[in-house]
Amino acid sequence: MAQELRSINLVAPAFKGVNTEDSPLAQDPSFAEIADNAVIDKRGRIAARKGHDVITTNKTVLGSDSIRVMKEFKDNAGNTKVFSVGNNKIISGTTTLVDETPGSYTITADNWKMVNFNDNTYFFQRAYEPLVYNNTSGSVVKLSTVTGASAAADIPKANEVLSAYGRLWCADISDNKSTVFWSDLLIGQNWTGGTSGSIDISKVWPDGYDEIVALAAHNGLLIIFGKHSIVAYQGAEAPASMTLADTVAGVGCVDRDTVQYTGTDVLFLSHTGLKSFGRAIQEKSLPISSLSGNITKDIIGALQTENQFFRSVYSPEEGFYLLTFVGQDVTYCFDVRGTTENGSYRVTRWVSTGFTSYTRQEDGTLLIGTSKGISEYEGYQDDGSPYRFKYYSPSLTFGDSSRIKILKKLKPTLVGANNATVFLKWAYDFKSSYATAEFTVGDQITGFFGVSEYTAVEFTGGALTNQKSLNATGYGTSIVVGLEADIDGSQLSLQEINVMALIGKLL
Amino acid sequence: MSNGYSSTDIDNMIEDTQDEYNIGIPSNVLSAGTGNSGGGGFLDLLGGLGSYLMQPDVLLPGVVGGLLTGEAYGRLSDIGRQARTGAEELAATQMEQTQFRPFTVTTATGAGMGTQVTPEGGIETTMGLSPEEQALQSQLMGGAGGFFGQAVQPTVEREQAIFERMRSAQRPEEQRQRLATEERMAAQGRLGLSSAAYGGATPELLAQETAINEARNRAMLGAMQQAQAEQMQQAALGQQFLGAGYLPQQQLMAATQPAQQLAALQQQAQLQGAGLFGEATMSGLEAQLVAEQARANLLGQTGAGLLSGALTPRSTGNSSLVSALGSIFGQGGG
Repeated sequence: MAQELRSINLVAPAFKGVNTEDSPLAQDPSFAEIADNAVIDKRGRIAARKGHDVITTNKTVLGSDSIRVMKEFKDNAGNTKVFSVGNNKIISGTTTLVDETPGSYTITADNWKMVNFNDNTYFFQRAYEPLVYNNTSGSVVKLSTVTGASAAADIPKANEVLSAYGRLWCADISDNKSTVFWSDLLIGQNWTGGTSGSIDISKVWPDGYDEIVALAAHNGLLIIFGKHSIVAYQGAEAPASMTLADTVAGVGCVDRDTVQYTGTDVLFLSHTGLKSFGRAIQEKSLPISSLSGNITKDIIGALQTENQFFRSVYSPEEGFYLLTFVGQDVTYCFDVRGTTENGSYRVTRWVSTGFTSYTRQEDGTLLIGTSKGISEYEGYQDDGSPYRFKYYSPSLTFGDSSRIKILKKLKPTLVGANNATVFLKWAYDFKSSYATAEFTVGDQITGFFGVSEYTAVEFTGGALTNQKSLNATGYGTSIVVGLEADIDGSQLSLQEINVMALIGKLL
Repeated sequence: MSNGYSSTDIDNMIEDTQDEYNIGIPSNVLSAGTGNSGGGGFLDLLGGLGSYLMQPDVLLPGVVGGLLTGEAYGRLSDIGRQARTGAEELAATQMEQTQFRPFTVTTATGAGMGTQVTPEGGIETTMGLSPEEQALQSQLMGGAGGFFGQAVQPTVEREQAIFERMRSAQRPEEQRQRLATEERMAAQGRLGLSSAAYGGATPELLAQETAINEARNRAMLGAMQQAQAEQMQQAALGQQFLGAGYLPQQQLMAATQPAQQLAALQQQAQLQGAGLFGEATMSGLEAQLVAEQARANLLGQTGAGLLSGALTPRSTGNSSLVSALGSIFGQGGG
């Protein structure tokens, strides 16, 4: 006797992002096992990320190296200039890269941090005398050469610098990992006079010992991140009188370049994943809900094997926080517009992008540094080349893991993906050998009333929706459904996948 | 009592009595007229005078009168000598009567003061304290010396000593405040804070150290003032001890005041007695002198009377002397 087909409709699959923490069998189909080169789009669907459009036309000074750090200089007069770092040089410009390295200043590392402060951009890197740029001088110079500057020996050669509360704050120098230094008020080159000063917090660490990794200013607090703990000071507007506001033990920061401000929270990467300082302050005690709770093990594994840089950026326009493990060429994209039930951000993964640095310009443009120079985050090609979007569902049991499922049809509904070749994949019982059905999405060029010519395009209201029905084969107790597509100029969003299966006998 | 003669007058008078030809009349009176006469006239005069005097009614009264007058003259001379001798004896007696008489004073505490006249006539005073008073005086003097000795010493060491004592009293509280500040700063996570605006420290540390330094400065100034006050005190004590050291002597001196007053009264009585004695003696001498002078005058007047009678011209033939004298004087006068 013929059996009834069982339909499982995966509506807005993976709109909760990747989840590698829960058991595949017990997972909500709204999670994804894999979501590569994907984001959560404005409709809450999993979609292909944007590509990067290289705007650099002359990268001679960069050579074969990559852009390691980027920062846009801005002053009160409205002057802007994009600085970047790579190939052991200080570089300016976006189209033609110009070497701005001061004369007789040798650089052998590209782990600079740049901050804007009082119409100047300051460059700090461990064991290097800080540099400074302003529009008046028009060039990058050693900080000690500026009028009113402290002697070079008195200027901290710090790895971390923060512009906040009318001063420069810096920490993490080669032989002193416990002292925070601050400059004179509004005078970033004066580190010895005025109201400059320092604080040694070696006796303040809640667990006895730590090393300063990063600094942040948030909610009137000066936040000092150690590797395994956090110390917050209040009253940093008058640093000579600031007092300890809170300490958090067991949560620290992995790298200064993972700290980003979202307006309400300070995001940073700890050894146990992405954390929010604002939330940690509210809870004041461990355990702290992790913002990367759905991929904790992946994050920990990635940071343990990282041997180069961490880079991050927050883009309110795109609604994500990007965290890149440069050495592994892996970027985690955290959607900051909402959290899942466990308090974690929805996260997707970008692989093999070649992204090595980011900065967000004042107009919201997200600049991306690669070995090709500087790119803008836009379009749906990576420097003119397609990139692979992947989605794989968690294992689906259709509510009864003890019965055999015989997959009959797969009906994906896609939005966009003009002329893209889509690979629909499925596999049974946790096997990695997938069966594949390939199809090509038709012409999805949109036609608008009064704009497009009659009969040239199909009149649409926006992105076109494409629905396919593909026959599937095989059987098993659990099914993983995947979809891959090369993104080559058009957006792609996965609206839903309707899985039709027969429920077989008990095993 | 004054008789109107000075001692010089008396001496002249006595010397005059040595001249046999001077009986109170200037010696040149009898020779008046003779000096100017020629050799022949003068001899005539002497021859006439001798003849006159050899007359019996002139010679006898003249001789008796002359003797009596000589006796009166001699007595007056004796009276002068006796008056001088008596006055000298009186002076010697009064010198002895008015001479200072030494006395001694002994106080109830055993101190004593004595006076004596030296062989040279000076007056020597000696004072002595009792052994207890001497011991007390020595102790007080020694104490005064000690205090003065301390008063003249430089105050630097004493200032330092006082300063150290004040600081040692302040340090425990300062240390407690430091510890409290340290704990408070540790609780506030500010132990390692350093600000250039506060000399490399923190506002509370700067305030605390400023307060400590102010206390130290006050202690230093206080130590200086205290050392100077102690120096003044040492000087004042020295003065007090010195004054007290002289107190037995002062008391001895005070104790001699009644004795001195008594001695003065005695001296005054002695002087008064000597004066009375002198006056009485001098009254006797004057009375005797007056009596003797009266007797001498009486004899003199008798002698003068006799002489006057003898030399007075008589109508019965006794006018030869007068005539002779008249002729003498007439010649002389002529």
